Amino acid sequence: MDIRQRLSKKSNKFLEDLNAYLFAKGKNFKEIDVIIEELEVHLLEAERKGKPIEKVVGNSPGEYMEMISEEMPVDYSNWIKYAVIIILGSFTFQIFMDILNGPLSYSILEIVGDVTISILFILLTLVSFTWITKRGMSDRKAILVLTPVMIVPVAMFVGLIYLNRHVETPVIHFGVTSSWLIVSLASILVIAITLWAKSWVLVVILSLLILPEFLLGLTSLSIETQLIVSTIISYGGIFLYIWIVSRREK
Amino acid sequence: MSTTQMLKGIIDGCVLAIIKNKEVYGYELAEKLEEYGFESFSEGTIYPMLMRMQREELVSATFKKSTAGPRRKYYSLTRKGEMELEKFVARWDDLQANVQRVLHMESVD
Repeated sequence: MDIRQRLSKKSNKFLEDLNAYLFAKGKNFKEIDVIIEELEVHLLEAERKGKPIEKVVGNSPGEYMEMISEEMPVDYSNWIKYAVIIILGSFTFQIFMDILNGPLSYSILEIVGDVTISILFILLTLVSFTWITKRGMSDRKAILVLTPVMIVPVAMFVGLIYLNRHVETPVIHFGVTSSWLIVSLASILVIAITLWAKSWVLVVILSLLILPEFLLGLTSLSIETQLIVSTIISYGGIFLYIWIVSRREK
Repeated sequence: MSTTQMLKGIIDGCVLAIIKNKEVYGYELAEKLEEYGFESFSEGTIYPMLMRMQREELVSATFKKSTAGPRRKYYSLTRKGEMELEKFVARWDDLQANVQRVLHMESVD
């Protein structure tokens, strides 16, 4: 039987929080696995003897997590990998959306803005992750904290779109051939990320965001109806997908 | 030096002494410390301590399968760890002798 199933809910929650905390603190994955495995064994034996989790991790799990974190060297290579994937992933999304409207063209402001906001998004996520896990928050509370945090980058993206309409910066225009070359490169990237992550998440979300708009564009429905229907399909689909995946993982 | 800091150095020495005697895994080590009377500390604190000792090359670790259940990480003392333990014993003997002398000469009753 899996060791996690033999552990109490409280111990499992602590180990999950510690895992996420160390990840957000940029620790090496292998080293995280080792300390988690060691603590699993310890908690299991302690629970068998009827010791409460406090006897192992102390009265403040947050402080204990910090103690462990301080003894582990930081390994930013994991982070950088994810950062690159998120930034490139957001670019592929943009590229696929734009190619539907003809050859690509981007202003310097758009490119710089996209990268800046993506980096900010990653930093915000990591900071809120350490904050949430250190306090051992329940999922519901965590969502309450994360929602406003996630709205910030979204609002900034919207702001960037408006800013881009009013502020003139040099624009890079791509011809038809180079536009499709970029699209092909983006497709290769999506396939590579999918294979590397062994997850369909990017493909599914990209298809849900792009295909409804594209397919509805071929129909004779009014623009407003198209927009409403495609938005509902896109976000409803993403919500459904995340829900199904999370159910399956449990 | 605060009591906790002083205790920290002492527990370090005791951990080295226990590991020198026999290869142990984390839970075993915590139990031993408790048996010897160090009961007030939270058991988990030995792990950051062991991580530091491993980084300072005082101890080395290997994973071994246990007969019933998951694999355990066993710690043993390195040559450097043995030297550190010797130093600790010398420091401790010195400290203890000093305290004994004080308490003996200055009757505290």
